[in-house]
Amino acid sequence: MIDCDVHNDWVNADVLLPYMDETFGDFLRRGERAGGAQSFPHGHRPWLHPEGYRRADLNPAEGHSAGSDYAMMKEQLLDKYDLEYAILTGEEIIDLSTIANPYYASAMAKANNEYLIHEWLTLDKRLKGSLAVAPQDPEGAAAEIRRRGDHPDIVQVMLSSAARRPYGDPFYNPIWEAAAEVGLPVAMHLGGNGGVNAESSFAMPPTFYYEHHALLCQSAMSHVASLILHGVFEKWPTLQFVIIECGISWLPPVLWRLDSGWKALRKETPWLKRLPSEYARDHLRFTTQPLEQPPNSDHMLAMLEAMDGKNTLLFSSDYPHWDFDDPYEVAIPKDWHENVFDLNIRKVYKKLPQKS
Amino acid sequence: MAKKQINIGIADLNPGERKIIEVDGKSIGLFNVNGDYFAMHNRCPHMGGQLCAGPVTGTTLPTDKTEFIYGRHNELVRCGWHGWEFEIKSGICTVDPKMRAKVYKVTREESGLILHI
Ligand code: FES
Repeated sequence: MIDCDVHNDWVNADVLLPYMDETFGDFLRRGERAGGAQSFPHGHRPWLHPEGYRRADLNPAEGHSAGSDYAMMKEQLLDKYDLEYAILTGEEIIDLSTIANPYYASAMAKANNEYLIHEWLTLDKRLKGSLAVAPQDPEGAAAEIRRRGDHPDIVQVMLSSAARRPYGDPFYNPIWEAAAEVGLPVAMHLGGNGGVNAESSFAMPPTFYYEHHALLCQSAMSHVASLILHGVFEKWPTLQFVIIECGISWLPPVLWRLDSGWKALRKETPWLKRLPSEYARDHLRFTTQPLEQPPNSDHMLAMLEAMDGKNTLLFSSDYPHWDFDDPYEVAIPKDWHENVFDLNIRKVYKKLPQKS
Repeated sequence: MAKKQINIGIADLNPGERKIIEVDGKSIGLFNVNGDYFAMHNRCPHMGGQLCAGPVTGTTLPTDKTEFIYGRHNELVRCGWHGWEFEIKSGICTVDPKMRAKVYKVTREESGLILHI
């Protein structure tokens, strides 16, 4: 079993300092931090979880958050579920995209990646890493992908689902170019809505945390449409996109609408050779958590079948967050398990040992 | 099935406190709610999370207008995983009365608390 979304946290953001140069090290050391001393300087989060967003049963050692305690992660996740690999997605670093200054953001991406490589990926052979990049700095992101993307335990490039423009915008092309060049998939993890980025809801800001949480799929819908329609997958035919924690069941209806539009108005996007849904099927993968739980599970199954879930879903738990999915409870057909918990994942993450 | 009665000794919890104990091979949350003791299986009917390890709390009472009335102080436990609220006394989930956590009767004797399991 492989888990595609495990949040390794830091005790505080000062762990980045040893990996930063003088200019941006000073910025972090002496500069303003939205959350007080030692916090990560992200610039958003109007939606505050009323109970905190981590599982309440984990009780990490003093001064740690659940995901920052490797011994606990080992016991409660890696060993408990006998994971073969866990793909680490970081915690606050996902919110890099909320920092207005792109150069500062890229300096922190780089520091995070060194911290990850030196202080997490050395702990356990089962841990694999995501290379954080700042999407607001496409050239910097591309340079970072070329600088560190060939590390054997770095299995993907990662950015947040909230951004300033939809990801098909040619502004972002340098990132996709670099990812395709080094052969890494790009993951888009939920996060970063608000502030300088798009809101989670297109009608503008929601009020309540769970309102925001239910609607954050809207960002992912936009990126999916934009990536496909701008022809990102025609330009980089080997590029794979992994959409993490943005919900699942919205995908088929969005693709149905795009397919209808294409049939009538293909002339707007003459570079597309196929139905939008066909690009989705070949280039997009979705992590399972949090799998929607309708009262009638057949309704969900119909959606999963409509998106060929057997071949497009990748298992994720989201440890140690409050909406964690237990792998033994994931409601997918039994005969999909081998694919979703293992084979689909190895196909995307080609650096994992392949099964013949 | 005949219930076993197990003496779990003298408990020293203050109102609002809880501890998780191992009894008869089961993980059980023992709670002091306003001076009375209650016991609940530490397994959530939702997805099997550690139900009794989350915060012991009150909640907002249902209202007819936009106002916040806090009540049921220390009568609820929020599951350690997804945070669903359960009444400690009855095991009933706040938002779905059909969803019930397993609770066990607790009685008091001189020698200690008796768990009916
Ligand atoms: S497992 Fe308890 S609320 Fe989900």
